[in-house]
Amino acid sequence: MFALSKTPLALGAALVASTLAIAAPAAHAAGTLNVAITQDAGSWDPIDTFVTWWGSVGSNIYDGLTIRGADMKLVPGLATSWEFLDNDTRIRFKLRDKVVFHNGEPFNAAAVKFTFDRLLGEEGKKGPQQSNYNAIGKVEVVDNLTVDFHMKQPDPVLLTKLAGYGAMIVPPKYITEKGDAYFNEHPVGTGPFKLAEYKPKTSLSLVRNDAYWAGAPKLDGVNYRFIAEPGTQASELQAGRIDIASAIPLGMVATIKKAPNVKVVTTSGPVAVVLRFNTKSGITANKEVRKALIMAVDREAIIKQILLGYGKPIASFQGELSFGFDPDLKPLPFSQAEARKMLQAAGVKMGSTVQLDFRGTDPTFREVAQAVAGYLQGVGIRTTLKPYETGVLINDIIPSGKTGDMFHFVWGGWTYDYDNTAYLMYHTGQKWNPYDSDPALDKILESQRATYDTKTRQAVLRNVARYVADNALELPLYSQDTVIGVNDRVKNFAVPGDIRYRFNEVTVD
Amino acid sequence: MTGFLIKRGLQALFVILAVTLLVAFAVRLTGDPALMLSQGAGSVTEQDLANIRQALGLNRPFYVQYLTYMQGVFTGDFGASFMGGTSVSRLIGDALPATLMLAFSSLILSIVISVPLGIRAAVKKGTSTDQGIRILSLVGLSFPNFWLALMLVLLLAIVFPIFPPSGWDGPMSLVLPSLTMAIILSATTVRLVRTTMLETLSAQYIMVARSKGLRERVVLYKHALRNCAIPLITYLGLQFGNLIGGIVVIEKVFNWPGMGTLAFDAIGGRDYPVLQGSVTVLALVIVIVNLVVDIAYGIVDPRIRTK
Repeated sequence: MFALSKTPLALGAALVASTLAIAAPAAHAAGTLNVAITQDAGSWDPIDTFVTWWGSVGSNIYDGLTIRGADMKLVPGLATSWEFLDNDTRIRFKLRDKVVFHNGEPFNAAAVKFTFDRLLGEEGKKGPQQSNYNAIGKVEVVDNLTVDFHMKQPDPVLLTKLAGYGAMIVPPKYITEKGDAYFNEHPVGTGPFKLAEYKPKTSLSLVRNDAYWAGAPKLDGVNYRFIAEPGTQASELQAGRIDIASAIPLGMVATIKKAPNVKVVTTSGPVAVVLRFNTKSGITANKEVRKALIMAVDREAIIKQILLGYGKPIASFQGELSFGFDPDLKPLPFSQAEARKMLQAAGVKMGSTVQLDFRGTDPTFREVAQAVAGYLQGVGIRTTLKPYETGVLINDIIPSGKTGDMFHFVWGGWTYDYDNTAYLMYHTGQKWNPYDSDPALDKILESQRATYDTKTRQAVLRNVARYVADNALELPLYSQDTVIGVNDRVKNFAVPGDIRYRFNEVTVD
Repeated sequence: MTGFLIKRGLQALFVILAVTLLVAFAVRLTGDPALMLSQGAGSVTEQDLANIRQALGLNRPFYVQYLTYMQGVFTGDFGASFMGGTSVSRLIGDALPATLMLAFSSLILSIVISVPLGIRAAVKKGTSTDQGIRILSLVGLSFPNFWLALMLVLLLAIVFPIFPPSGWDGPMSLVLPSLTMAIILSATTVRLVRTTMLETLSAQYIMVARSKGLRERVVLYKHALRNCAIPLITYLGLQFGNLIGGIVVIEKVFNWPGMGTLAFDAIGGRDYPVLQGSVTVLALVIVIVNLVVDIAYGIVDPRIRTK
């Protein structure tokens, strides 16, 4: 084996050398929480990204003027109070005193102004966040601890938006001195934890901010690992190497429940799933046909059998935590006999075909789509299932109106406000509304945007939901529970459905 | 040898250029990164999208984008990721060693598994040992790599928690992904070693060696194996490309911080610079490995050296 034997040896030595060259992640120190999240947001600058997972990390590094707890209630954050002035065209925020950024820089009105000038200005233009805050005209410093937001138009969801993503408050001096590119990878905020180390695509670790204004967190630190495969997250959880697996495949819930020291925690999530209709052409252009298709599908059975109970039936495109949810609005009942009659009355021939476009990358939904096809077959409608890559479906096929008769739509609604979904789905000219233009619906949608009065808005949004249901613009399927796996050593962890975890109170044994 | 090197060098350069052009063109067919970036945003206007495209430099003509990119490639600067602006060179610098380490350890492990098995099968031709090894290789061939990976994780990381199930946590992390790749690779290598060994063992010089009274070990490993090495090296060189392709899947399953994961995520996010950079570098690695394989012939077989 002479000539060959030397080669493996040399390669082996090189291997060992390279093994040592790649630094291992920090050991699982006591008092450290290990969390697996699906994706590295790529940039930790609040205005750069719309990756939902950003919120899981960003909520621990930064604070907004408001904060939303795990119960989804808004509470004061860096602002202690706010009032609406000048006929609601101006919002005055009183700011929290004696707060400092992780780099020692003071938090004050200038920092708030800097944050929003940056978000609404040139730097914000490069990212996707700006369009969420366009209602703000300008931010004015009144005194060191008071700022005024001058509104171009009312935005009733603004206070909710201020609790996350683009509106997180950033340090002016640090960013001016170090530059935006540096800030991306070395984020500094006022939050309960500060950055220790970031390895792009691999991991990010935080350490406790002892100077946190609401009291230092109890953990020494948090290690995030970016693990895209839900199955791999589950394995890591079972092996005891992570404490929180944020994406658990439903098929593995039973296995994980059997594992020692691990539990599965579920909570109502923000994600709602519907099948929207092509209301322009094909048999689905007829409202009665759409209603018949809705009645042909047994959603309760789908939730029970495929989602293993981790979901709830819905009558509108929102879950029960969403502002605007109407518990009295019931979905059309499941009745294949009635559906057949309605199809016959509408003159639809037995054996007619519909095409259902869906995100083929979601294994659970693939089963749901097959079940839907089965139910439609039951009323004499044949279904062609057409899977797409998610990005292609939602960015190319839907906006250009090239879908089949029905298309899968999933919406996270991170603001938990039905406006965020309804306006984008049903208002004329919106990117994801390729088929409908209904001036009456546009008017209702706009009317709730003009007021901050929550009672009025709730009434209007419920009205929108009824209107959409009456016109059968979509086949509502279910709202999905957030399902995560947690090691028993984690204490005091309240799971927010919107996956914006905050670990201030969490401890580990 | 110099002429040979220059010729192969030019060929390699041409391949790299073709790959970069093809990839730059192909990634632009996958969709608009601006739409991808603003996917979760509220009301996105055409103006918002135009702003993002301008910031990313996507409003320039294709040839300008390509030439700028190539200018960067020659200076080792692959640009910045669309998702957050991390330098692509840095991302590749972190990911490439991890992938190479995995590739080489898989290759070595597969040699360690397949060469002795292949020789054994050849020596025991027609016996139950030979049958057993051939059946084993057929079983190995039939496994999809991701399934094998999951089974190994289940057995060796969860039921018997010996190795970490994923990620990079020191040398132990290398075992499961390398073993998965090695088992798949070995399945075909065993058959190759067996066949070439059978041919070699019937050659006259082996009979001479045996008749000189040399020990069977020496005959097999010194005389016969060396003559099997050429097809084996050729085969493994060719396999390297497949290996790198297979690694994408394995890296995903094991959350291995390598080039496969990097490229895969870049496709999902329409992150042109990261995708272009990682494919270019992987192509470069494969080209270099093939070059090394050609040179290795000369080292192993003196007859090629003199030609």
